[in-house]
Amino acid sequence: MLAGLSLQFGVDVNSLINVLWLVSILVFFVYGQRLQVYIITGEISRALNRLKVMRDKSRKEAIDYFTSSGKTTGDPTQRIDEFLDYVTIMPVDMDPNGIVGKLQHITNTRDERVRAEVGQLIPNSDPTKVSVAENILEIATSLNQIHKIVRHYYLLGKKTNSYMLLFQLQMIMPMVLQEADALINAVDTFKLGQPVGDGIGPVIASRYMLNLPKQVVGKDTVMAVTEYKGRTLYVLKAEGPMGYVGEPGVAIQKLVEEMKVPLNAIIMVDAALKLEGEKTGEVAEGVGAAIGGIGVDKFKIEEVSSTQKIPVYAILVKQSLLEAITIMRKEIAEASDKVQTLINRVIEEKTKEGDKVLLAGIGNTLGVGQ
Amino acid sequence: MSSSSQEHKSKLLVFTIEECPACGQKTKRAFQVGDFVTRDGGRCPKCGNTTKITMIYAELPPKA
Repeated sequence: MLAGLSLQFGVDVNSLINVLWLVSILVFFVYGQRLQVYIITGEISRALNRLKVMRDKSRKEAIDYFTSSGKTTGDPTQRIDEFLDYVTIMPVDMDPNGIVGKLQHITNTRDERVRAEVGQLIPNSDPTKVSVAENILEIATSLNQIHKIVRHYYLLGKKTNSYMLLFQLQMIMPMVLQEADALINAVDTFKLGQPVGDGIGPVIASRYMLNLPKQVVGKDTVMAVTEYKGRTLYVLKAEGPMGYVGEPGVAIQKLVEEMKVPLNAIIMVDAALKLEGEKTGEVAEGVGAAIGGIGVDKFKIEEVSSTQKIPVYAILVKQSLLEAITIMRKEIAEASDKVQTLINRVIEEKTKEGDKVLLAGIGNTLGVGQ
Repeated sequence: MSSSSQEHKSKLLVFTIEECPACGQKTKRAFQVGDFVTRDGGRCPKCGNTTKITMIYAELPPKA
């Protein structure tokens, strides 16, 4: 057949194929990167659209939540839109001395402002509703920020023909989408006031605080005093069932420095992000301040424990980001008995009768009372 | 497919666990809005005491 074609067109087909190969190699050599960029920009564009859909959904959910509370004073849309672009300017870190105090001041100012504004939008609402509204607003703000940053680098990469910028953006997109996906899924959990995976610490602390008198020892933070096998046990958690994380750092500092409680050990229970391959609900034990966030509370706990030579023990319950901010999974809930056994063992092994021990349940305490 | 993606596709069922402080009887029921851990629950089916909500969690529906 090839011989027939050669005769018919008077061309050697083998040579033709060879020329075509050479041309295609040349085209790919010269335009290969552009072709790759074309494919990558298409992928980023689709991901950006997904982010936009998520951003719009979270915004709508926030507006619906405020409106459905039935107590809004007028249309909250404009105020919520203003909140989505609310910025927190971090302090200068050229001279890091004293930066933690500045950070605490800035974050406290932001939190108070947000709570006051939410309180004005839904006046006379119970604290749980206000805290849920704060959390939903925070999710919408985060998604808005993620969308804006990704869009910025996408447009900048296209505008400046920066292939490397687009390649890097495409490489991190699956992780960005995973985070955004976790945030949008958290909205339903918050709306219903259900405990999140991150609330495992407060759940365990609440077991030790049940039916005991509580005192406020920091913003949104409560403490109860009990006894365990001859030891005085100070139990700390954020005030629930509101969606608060409290100020455990401030509370521990107050307990040691102002209330002059000579602690012999601090036990912290918190959720920890699992590595891929680790099982949800796995319990890990260690030492050090088990607390996330911006670092203010961690700094305060480390400061007070190191100056007073108080050992800090950590108990962690592993979970993914999605599981940490959405309804608590059965595997995480089932880990609570194991954690309680571990806490009791640490108290018995690391302290003696007459000692004073602090147990802190760290995390968002939505749906967990005390 | 990861377990998280599987959960995404099938809706999770949310349960509230009520525990009797007197006899330790545990009751599992569907979550209702307003439930929170440490809140008083219903009457214990075994001894009639007031129960406490000790846990709220989600699990995948049983496979058909």
